[in-house]
Amino acid sequence: MAAFLHYLEMPYLLQGILVTLQLTALGLAGGLVLGFALAAMQLSRLRALSVVARGYTIVFRGTPLILQLVFAYDALPHAGLKLSPMTAAGLALAANEATFIAEVFRSGVLGVDKGQVTAGQALGMTPRVIMRRVVGPQAIRLMVPALGNEAVTTLKNSSLASFIAVQELTLRSNQLASSTFDFFSIFFASGVMYLVLTGAISAVQLAVERALDLDRLVAAGWWVRLLPVRRPVPAAVVKQTAVPDQPAPVRAEELPHPGPVPDERRNRAAPLAGGPNAVEVSGVHKRYGDQVVLDGMQMSVRAGEVVALLGPSGSGKSTLLRSINHLEEPDTGSVLILGRRIGYRDDGKPLSPAGIARARAEAGAGMVFQHFNLFNHLTALENVAGPLRWVHRVPAAEAERRARDQLERVGLSHRADALPRHLSGGQQQRVAIARALAPNPRVLLLDEPTSALDPELVNEVLQVIRGLAREDGLTMIIATHQLRFAQEVADRVVFMSGGSVTEEGPAEELLLRPRRPETARFLQVMGAAVTGQVPA
Amino acid sequence: MRRTLLPVTAVSIASAALLSACGGSSTASPAASAAPVSAACKQLQSGNPDLVGKTFTNATNPHTPGYEALDPNDPSKYVGFDIDLGTALGDCLGFKLSNKPVAFPALLPTLQSGQADLVISDIYATSDRAKAADFVTYSKVFDGILVRNGNPRKLNGINTSLCGATAALNTGFVEVPLVQKLAGACKAAGRPAPQVQLYDNNAQCVEAILAGRADTYINDVNTVNQAVKAHPGQLGKATAVTLPYSIGIAVPKGKTQFRDAIKAALTEIQKTGAEAKLLKKWSLDTGSVQAPQLVTG
Repeated sequence: MAAFLHYLEMPYLLQGILVTLQLTALGLAGGLVLGFALAAMQLSRLRALSVVARGYTIVFRGTPLILQLVFAYDALPHAGLKLSPMTAAGLALAANEATFIAEVFRSGVLGVDKGQVTAGQALGMTPRVIMRRVVGPQAIRLMVPALGNEAVTTLKNSSLASFIAVQELTLRSNQLASSTFDFFSIFFASGVMYLVLTGAISAVQLAVERALDLDRLVAAGWWVRLLPVRRPVPAAVVKQTAVPDQPAPVRAEELPHPGPVPDERRNRAAPLAGGPNAVEVSGVHKRYGDQVVLDGMQMSVRAGEVVALLGPSGSGKSTLLRSINHLEEPDTGSVLILGRRIGYRDDGKPLSPAGIARARAEAGAGMVFQHFNLFNHLTALENVAGPLRWVHRVPAAEAERRARDQLERVGLSHRADALPRHLSGGQQQRVAIARALAPNPRVLLLDEPTSALDPELVNEVLQVIRGLAREDGLTMIIATHQLRFAQEVADRVVFMSGGSVTEEGPAEELLLRPRRPETARFLQVMGAAVTGQVPA
Repeated sequence: MRRTLLPVTAVSIASAALLSACGGSSTASPAASAAPVSAACKQLQSGNPDLVGKTFTNATNPHTPGYEALDPNDPSKYVGFDIDLGTALGDCLGFKLSNKPVAFPALLPTLQSGQADLVISDIYATSDRAKAADFVTYSKVFDGILVRNGNPRKLNGINTSLCGATAALNTGFVEVPLVQKLAGACKAAGRPAPQVQLYDNNAQCVEAILAGRADTYINDVNTVNQAVKAHPGQLGKATAVTLPYSIGIAVPKGKTQFRDAIKAALTEIQKTGAEAKLLKKWSLDTGSVQAPQLVTG
């Protein structure tokens, strides 16, 4: 025991800890830099880059670290690169660790819900902005435990550098054991030292996880602003604004607009008739493998018109909406938004992803998704204000003002600082509508905005959309299964089946007196008596 | 401390910062004695002016107390006969030595890759090893057979007494093929071949006997004596045997001038009785002094 304690405080071994830490830091820092590059290459659209990265990974993940250490130390000098033991070991550790860290980065990025990326694209964010503002901050949370693992692994792997003359803890222990024959005391002591080091890494990992925990409601310190997230406000503050418990009951004053008046809508029809086309879809074909999704789709929507897209599941409604703002690229045919074709240069050549993003932002087509796709790590306010700053370069104060206006418009000012996960589905969809409206789009595309909602939450969302149609004169294309809502809100109903338009016409007429048998069948299945009233 | 640019800039910057923050990986040998330089050594220095004032790197496998090991009282130093011999050679030729600890099988690759300038590490100058480096020999080889106290398996040499026994040996040591070669003789005698367990260093081989995993450990007789001294109740030396090798200083192939200077300095050190004196200092057998020979592949 005395010998064990003696070795535990022996300066020779304690200096070994320092060397071990230096080596670990080298391996980990180099591994992070290289791993980041590798992950970026593997995720790149350029096949050559991903092939190179894959090849590197196969070699460096597939050979023992000790061979790589000996190679860096003993073989590189034959090629004229004579590295010091510490540098050679750091290089080998980093080269090896990079392959594992790259996979951590990659799985973190791929682990973020695809809907987050789609929402970012629909808002006109470039791939870089999406990575920095949407995917990155969420991926970091997924990666912290695995990166903690890698840090511990690197520390333990650093002991292999004893083979190439790096005087780290294990080499010192071995030599000391050889000279003193005090085998066990020495290795117990160095084992305890390793435990302390790996324990410290675990503690750092847990602290980072805690700091990044979205649910942790603490007063934000100065350093929190350095983190790539906005934190929710403390519970105490939220309470003062009298937040309803969730799922939030819809209060009457929350709902901004009363229902529409049919006469009013009929009055709108006249000026619409002569207006310019906001959206022009002509001859669009799209197939996934063998399955034809859009088959010569034709449709035009005039400025200020509200069109309801009806049709059975798989009839191509979603794909059509996604094609309109080029989230899907049509195989043939063209889509014009206010005369502009998104995704192509004037000479017809396809744009880069960043170019497409800019074109989307300029064209002004907002999108609302079935599953809301709010940015999970941002408060309601930031979900609306962030894209204004990042895409439209709106100054921060102005963006916040506009975001608060939009939240008020959908009746959610009092939930501005709540995270999406703390909002009910209906509230989330209203925030999503506010987010889509904030950049003042000319066209709003709504992809089954109430299909994912519990029945009692549907109405609050429909109310908001009714208000947009009635008061704002916004051009809207709404894919929906809510027949009554379509009848109330839409100027025109377009019925789709098999990737093209089967029938279209004024809402009331088509819903009550469909001409085509497919339409009638669909309406019947959806519960509408063909000759009677559209059900509630 | 040698610092070299890396292809990866970030790593290089990080390493530069770290390396400058703390001490290096090789440990300087104890300060050379200020002994007066003999006339012969002076003459050697004027004949080899490019060696004077240099610091060379000695690759060592510091797991053999008596020859080379950490100083248990001051683990920042390496001590032993080989370390002192290197210092004496340096004093004679006017250079200093720093010691770089590597695994035994890495001694010659380290020399070949230029990461070390010579190897003085109780390494036997076999013809196989002479393919990788040139050797200047300085000592005869006597091996000891380390066994459990009382020699329960009655081992008496590197011979058929080892049939069926398990030998703990160091990776890359000459004893490994010698023991493996007994398989034929054992088979002829109708007995099982000896088993070999390979370890990384002296301490692990000794532990293997203490833990009952191996019956014997065969290495330089002085190493065996040291182990017996450290574990008097548990270990014993069965016998000592002569091996047909010499211990040598390895130098890179092609550096004949350096090699010849080492040989001349070694001759001088033996002539003055300094080598015998060092053997005595480290309780080694003074009878093992042997006039320098070249062993080249």
